[in-house]
Amino acid sequence: MLKPKLKLTSALVVAAFVGGTAFADQAYGPFPVTVKGYEGDKTNSVSYSGQIARHVLHDSLKKAAAKGDGGNNAAEVEALMLAYFNGSEEDLAIIAPVSKDGFPVKQSTVNEISKGKNISGKFYKGAMTAWPGNQSGVDVALQMIKLAAASEQGYDPVNGMDWGQLISKFTLGAMAYNQAVDNYLDEKLDADNKPNDQPYSEGAHYTGKEHSWDEAFGYFGAAAHSVSLSPEQNYAVSKQKDLAAADANGDGVIDLKTEFVFGPAYYAAGADKGGNKNTQYMTTIFNAFRDGRALIASANGEALTDEQRAQLKNYADIIETNWEKTLAEATFKYAGSVYKDIDKIKSGEDTDKALRNYAKHWGELKGFSMALQSGKNNLGAAAIDMNWLIGFGPAMPDGKMVSDIDADGNFVRGREMTLDDYQVNMLKVQKLLIDTFGIESRANDATADLAALAEKLGENASAEND
Amino acid sequence: MEIFEYIANVFADVSNPKKRIFFGYLLLTILIALVWLVAVRRSSFKRALGQVFDRKILFSPSARADYKIFVINRVFTMFISPLLLSQLAIATALYYALHDIDFLQRGVFSDTPKGVIVALFTVTIFIVDDFTKYLLHRWMHRWPLLWAIHKTHHSAETLTPITVYRTHPLEGLLYGMRGAVAQGTVMATFLFFFGNAVDLYTVLGVNVMSFVFHVTGSNLRHSHISIRYWPWLEHILISPAQHQVHHSIARQHHDKNFGVAFAVWDWLFGSLYLSERDTDLKFGLPPSEAHSSRLLDIYLRPFSDMARVVRRRYHRIFRPKPVQASSDKTPVTR
Ligand SMILES: [Zn+2]
Ligand SMILES: [Zn+2]
Repeated sequence: MLKPKLKLTSALVVAAFVGGTAFADQAYGPFPVTVKGYEGDKTNSVSYSGQIARHVLHDSLKKAAAKGDGGNNAAEVEALMLAYFNGSEEDLAIIAPVSKDGFPVKQSTVNEISKGKNISGKFYKGAMTAWPGNQSGVDVALQMIKLAAASEQGYDPVNGMDWGQLISKFTLGAMAYNQAVDNYLDEKLDADNKPNDQPYSEGAHYTGKEHSWDEAFGYFGAAAHSVSLSPEQNYAVSKQKDLAAADANGDGVIDLKTEFVFGPAYYAAGADKGGNKNTQYMTTIFNAFRDGRALIASANGEALTDEQRAQLKNYADIIETNWEKTLAEATFKYAGSVYKDIDKIKSGEDTDKALRNYAKHWGELKGFSMALQSGKNNLGAAAIDMNWLIGFGPAMPDGKMVSDIDADGNFVRGREMTLDDYQVNMLKVQKLLIDTFGIESRANDATADLAALAEKLGENASAEND
Repeated sequence: MEIFEYIANVFADVSNPKKRIFFGYLLLTILIALVWLVAVRRSSFKRALGQVFDRKILFSPSARADYKIFVINRVFTMFISPLLLSQLAIATALYYALHDIDFLQRGVFSDTPKGVIVALFTVTIFIVDDFTKYLLHRWMHRWPLLWAIHKTHHSAETLTPITVYRTHPLEGLLYGMRGAVAQGTVMATFLFFFGNAVDLYTVLGVNVMSFVFHVTGSNLRHSHISIRYWPWLEHILISPAQHQVHHSIARQHHDKNFGVAFAVWDWLFGSLYLSERDTDLKFGLPPSEAHSSRLLDIYLRPFSDMARVVRRRYHRIFRPKPVQASSDKTPVTR
């Protein structure tokens, strides 16, 4: 009895091995058209251009946030920003990413990617307690847009706000992360929601499940071939610095729909590239997406069995957990930057520049901490602690920070906080993130030197004595 | 845990240069002992060998108990070490606290040359470690409640390098906490004031000062080879003979030489005792205090002793006048 059993298990192991390696390094798509009764000429069922359009709207919105001249053009800038946030009847120009020397981009307007898309409709609408005023996520974003438009180049030196960073990092969570983990990888995986034995919509060349999954992948923002690139290459593609790595089909231009790396994926690669270099967020998330998509394709247009959906749920869990970690890693990194910036401010050299960098990094820190709170999970006490430690604004050199916002959108600076105390808060934020999310990369770890020394000194538990 | 893994774990210290019984140190110890016996004591090589590997000592009931305790304590350590607050936890908490003190400026000394910072840290952590060991050791002899625990170590009637493991698990716990506080404090303070250049000079991954301590015969402290130093040096460093005095049963040797590496602490606080020529020391404790080889007694008596101390304290507080003077005998401590 033992022998055949052994054979069966080794066969399974081999199959699992072959099955696993068969896909390794394989791009996201093309996948065949499986939808029953489709009569068109499409051969690839992968489609997520709507999500790419939203990434482009987001990148452009961030750029637009810096167009204010201190108040005179506030209405104009706000209208421009709202066009990208709410979408527009007109075909909007892509402000970012645009072609630059050595990195030509194929599309120059949003409609060339996908028509009729917006950010606001897909924005987190739950309560956002990380921001003053008891507002919903989308209202916070609208308020930030208004304040950005009235500022000088998106910067508020009194309260220490960098609006472009705040809006952008918050959006990475409130739109992309939220839509993926709280919608497409959540209720859309239910049996009766967007079933696999029907087209996603009338006449579509993809099934309900295929397209739902693709949309989640689209929000992640990786290039279809990102898995064959190193973290450094993915990072460089996003920075528009590595044409060769980006240009998967070799036609000399970058197709934003498939060849570019957007925000969430950029930060996954960034975490892998920096810090302790002991994470593989990009590969892990990408592979889960691709393998999940291959699983759906293998159903060949039939409804998914419970077992298949369970497997899919499993991939979705991997994606969600790791995606959340990339946001925690980014929050961690910028808490470390803020800590270092305070040293620079205290040193008194080039104070204006030091403060500008401080506000920028704080905006990224705050934005990512809000992104973390826009997902499916209620972070509970961890969120309350994090929001208290980071506050509603950075501690400023006068020892005060934002404590509230009034009905007219004016900040109240009523909380006492010295720069020294705020540095301690940053250390505590980092510790909280390690304890809550178990992150490993830990770029800009402000107490890394302590840990390294402790490691060197060795543990004290011993049973020896004189 | 797999049995092999377990065995490897039990004997891990022999291959760990951070530990005194690292095989390299043991080999050097033998070498030093032989050279000293032949060159200083003018003994023949054969006699010297016989003295170093004296079966009556290495396999005495007390020594055999040491070996068993070595293995048993390993198990306790495995359970205790996760409970200990690590020096990193203490260092981190202190590092936060230092930020909160307004008049302390982080990184004030960060312009100090790196070599100086590292040397300073290496020396400081060794000195602080050594001093806190001295203090705790002194208290272990001073306070009846602690003496009940520390007796285990002094119950050895013969001394071998493994006697260093003859300690009650509770003592291991106390020393572990001491180490965490001492090292955590030095780490946090140095990093706060000197910045990220802080590092340790090491040999084989060990603090270079600990390394020197070990390669110069730290294992001989627990042996019958009584290497003495010149009197002036015995004011600075504890010689093997001086620690053997610490284990001596003779009345005049009680509560002397608590130091580990440095004798300065004993000198400073009046507990220094220089070694003497040609004195035959007897080690151990009277039967009324501890047994040298019965393991149950070794592990359990400290608890009953502690209970007695607590009970006596209780009576002293709540019954102002003792019924009989004899019931209030102070314990013989050393
Ligand atoms: Zn001893
Ligand atoms: Zn002692």
